[in-house]
Amino acid sequence: MLEQFLWIIGQGLLVALMAPLLQGVIKKTKARLQNRLGAPILQPYYDIVKYLQKDAVISDQASWLTRATPYLVFCVMLTAGLLVPTLWGQAPLGMAGDLIILVYLFAVARFMTALTALDAGSAFGGMGSSRDMALSAIAEPALFLAAVAVLITGGTSRLGDIMAITVRQDWNVLDPAYGLACLAMLIVVIAETGRIPVDNPDTHLELTMIHEGMLLEYSGRYLGLMVWAAQIKQLLILTLLIDLFFPWGVALTPGVSGLLAAGAVYLGKLLVLGIILALIETAYAKMRLFQVPRLLASSMLLSLLAIMVRIAK
Amino acid sequence: MNQLSKKQLVARLLQSFGKKMLSSRPVQEHETELVIDKADLPEVCRTLVQEKKGRLFTMVGNDERELSGHFALYYVFAFDQLQHLITVKTLLEEADPVFPSISAQIPAANWYEREVKDLLGLRALGHPDRRPLILHGDWPEDQYPLRKDFSAALPVSRQPDRGTSMQYSGRDVTEIPVGPIHAGIIEPGHFRFGAVGDTVLHLDAKLFYTHRGLEKSAEGLPLTKALFTAERICGVCALSHAVAFAQAVEAAAQLTPPPRALYLRSLFLELERLYNHIGDLGNLCAGFGFAVGVSHGSRLREQLQQLNEELAGHRYLRGVIQLGGLRLDVTPAELSRLLTVLEQVEADFDELMDIILSHDIALDRMATTGVLSLQQANDLEVVGVAARASGRAVDIRRSHPYAAYGQLDVPLVQYTQGDVLARFKVRAEEVKTSLQIIRQIVCQIPAGAIWAPVPEIQPYTRAMGWAESPRGEVCHWLMVGPEQTVFRYRIRSAAYSNWPAVPLTVPGNIVPDFPLINKSFELCYSCCDR
Repeated sequence: MLEQFLWIIGQGLLVALMAPLLQGVIKKTKARLQNRLGAPILQPYYDIVKYLQKDAVISDQASWLTRATPYLVFCVMLTAGLLVPTLWGQAPLGMAGDLIILVYLFAVARFMTALTALDAGSAFGGMGSSRDMALSAIAEPALFLAAVAVLITGGTSRLGDIMAITVRQDWNVLDPAYGLACLAMLIVVIAETGRIPVDNPDTHLELTMIHEGMLLEYSGRYLGLMVWAAQIKQLLILTLLIDLFFPWGVALTPGVSGLLAAGAVYLGKLLVLGIILALIETAYAKMRLFQVPRLLASSMLLSLLAIMVRIAK
Repeated sequence: MNQLSKKQLVARLLQSFGKKMLSSRPVQEHETELVIDKADLPEVCRTLVQEKKGRLFTMVGNDERELSGHFALYYVFAFDQLQHLITVKTLLEEADPVFPSISAQIPAANWYEREVKDLLGLRALGHPDRRPLILHGDWPEDQYPLRKDFSAALPVSRQPDRGTSMQYSGRDVTEIPVGPIHAGIIEPGHFRFGAVGDTVLHLDAKLFYTHRGLEKSAEGLPLTKALFTAERICGVCALSHAVAFAQAVEAAAQLTPPPRALYLRSLFLELERLYNHIGDLGNLCAGFGFAVGVSHGSRLREQLQQLNEELAGHRYLRGVIQLGGLRLDVTPAELSRLLTVLEQVEADFDELMDIILSHDIALDRMATTGVLSLQQANDLEVVGVAARASGRAVDIRRSHPYAAYGQLDVPLVQYTQGDVLARFKVRAEEVKTSLQIIRQIVCQIPAGAIWAPVPEIQPYTRAMGWAESPRGEVCHWLMVGPEQTVFRYRIRSAAYSNWPAVPLTVPGNIVPDFPLINKSFELCYSCCDR
């Protein structure tokens, strides 16, 4: 029982504390690729600490939603963090749910964020939520489909099980279905983390914002929580990619040394993925808003192909 | 074209007005003034624009009650083929300060006529848009700052805002108010979109938040001091404004600065264009989130601004111009250093253009976005990069040469699509032509003095100066007062001519494309608002 408890605390802390580091690495890489020095890698931590210490200014038009949503979204993201295996081949709350509940938890956070963005009645919040909702109607099934393309081999929807199967079978990486699904997932990762070419996390142009537009009304600790939650989501989406496609190195049996080794491997994989994201973001420009659905549709098509290839075998 | 035939052509041009013309006289070398009755204003202006193919260059309202007991309106039309300006002057009684509007026939007059209402209380009858322009709804309606009896020192009590923004209504139409305070560090402007979903139906831009009353505060200043005002109209076109003002003073004094000064002015003007165009091209990439373009653009711009500092002691080229010439000379060593730096910049610039113009998403975002048609550009008398990207061949360096441009080969860069991509390409090619012009200057520059003393100017002489700033032509209209001071100073910047065109290009595009369209015009707020 105590072990279970420690495990939950440990994974929660790991997810929450690693997320800003990943963000820092991505930002630093981008800055270097763009000929800039960039902020220190640890800057996202400083930012969050700064935000959390500040008082919040809230529109007098806003209801209790604006106050409640940041806590809710943050807790939802932490809970989601307990459903994704990181170092060990099982998630702390693995008995409670599978991939499907994970997708729904993301949906809850997204719904609350979008709803609250309408709360203060500012134009940018409204634009952000309408765009986010329009895109998520395609992004969510795309995420699900890409995951299913892998899960279908194991006949399970539990991430822990499919990881164990993948690692044990060590099946052929050159399997076309695997590559197709991985590419599909990568597109979803970009969309879900709000990065170029779908959204631009660094823009100051309020009219072009999607995710940032929904955060414009927040300040102080509320902003801190929302930013932190977004970073955790980014970490989780990348972890999902790792779990589904590159699980090798994860600890399958309990043991301190195994967990430590798995931790090092996990960190390494995250950093590599972060750098790849930064590369994509630097090489691409933001596409026209109405072409994003096409990109996501192509992700779904890739997933469908992967599933077909898998079934045909 | 020799002087005689030009005179004949101008005379023929004015013939058709017959008895409507109360009097006519040549003002400066390139300008003829005709006085007409205010009732004939619409017809004379319409003939000049629609039949004689003149373009509205600027329009000035002037409080001349202490001179003649009247208010005066000056409509200036430029005839590019003739290299000549024709000013239509009309007098308005103090007791009846109204005149017939020409905006319905000549849309470009829209802002000018609203401006003389706000600042001088001269009302254009039949103007299609009766909202205030420069002074917003909280300014009392009976206070006219540019009248001579209005004291700039006294505070004006504000009234409750009359609400002058456009209101949108109807099912499915969302009103999106943006600004005047923006998320980024940019100048203030209030934009109101009427949109259905993300598609824009209509855009209303409310500007003039940075109206500082420069024209009022310049009145009474000695000409030498007013030059500092001119340099501070705009941050990034400081030199163009300074040159235009200096030329207005020199024209009034009938002085031609020494040739070396003229060449150096052209040199610095092109340097100003270079750092602006390259910086703007980089900044445009922020419109589609292409950070590589942004950072390289600002790197190259920084290099050029450091070059400015080396040559002139100022990154924005302030303090270079002096009435009658320049304040500083450039040594041969500095000129060769200039060429070396420009060579490096050009190589990097070519590479950057290659990256951007071969980027599929970048091209997709720019092409067909924010189209300004030739008809719209002509109707609104759009100038500068925006005009040349829509197939409107206006470049005042070619049509009314100033500084040393008459002796230099200035190629015209022109595209016809009128979209963001066309404006991008016009800028990119103008960078190359600017580099060519600078090389010509370095080869041809004569030795000699860089300054000549300005002779005394007769009180109430008026003259104009102009320059092609990086954003388009600027025109400074000046009337000198007693003891070499400013009596009336009217600044018409490129942004003032082009801002009315921006809202026309947005409908049909999606809201997130507006920043890109706006960046492609790259208009300045402060030199529009003054």
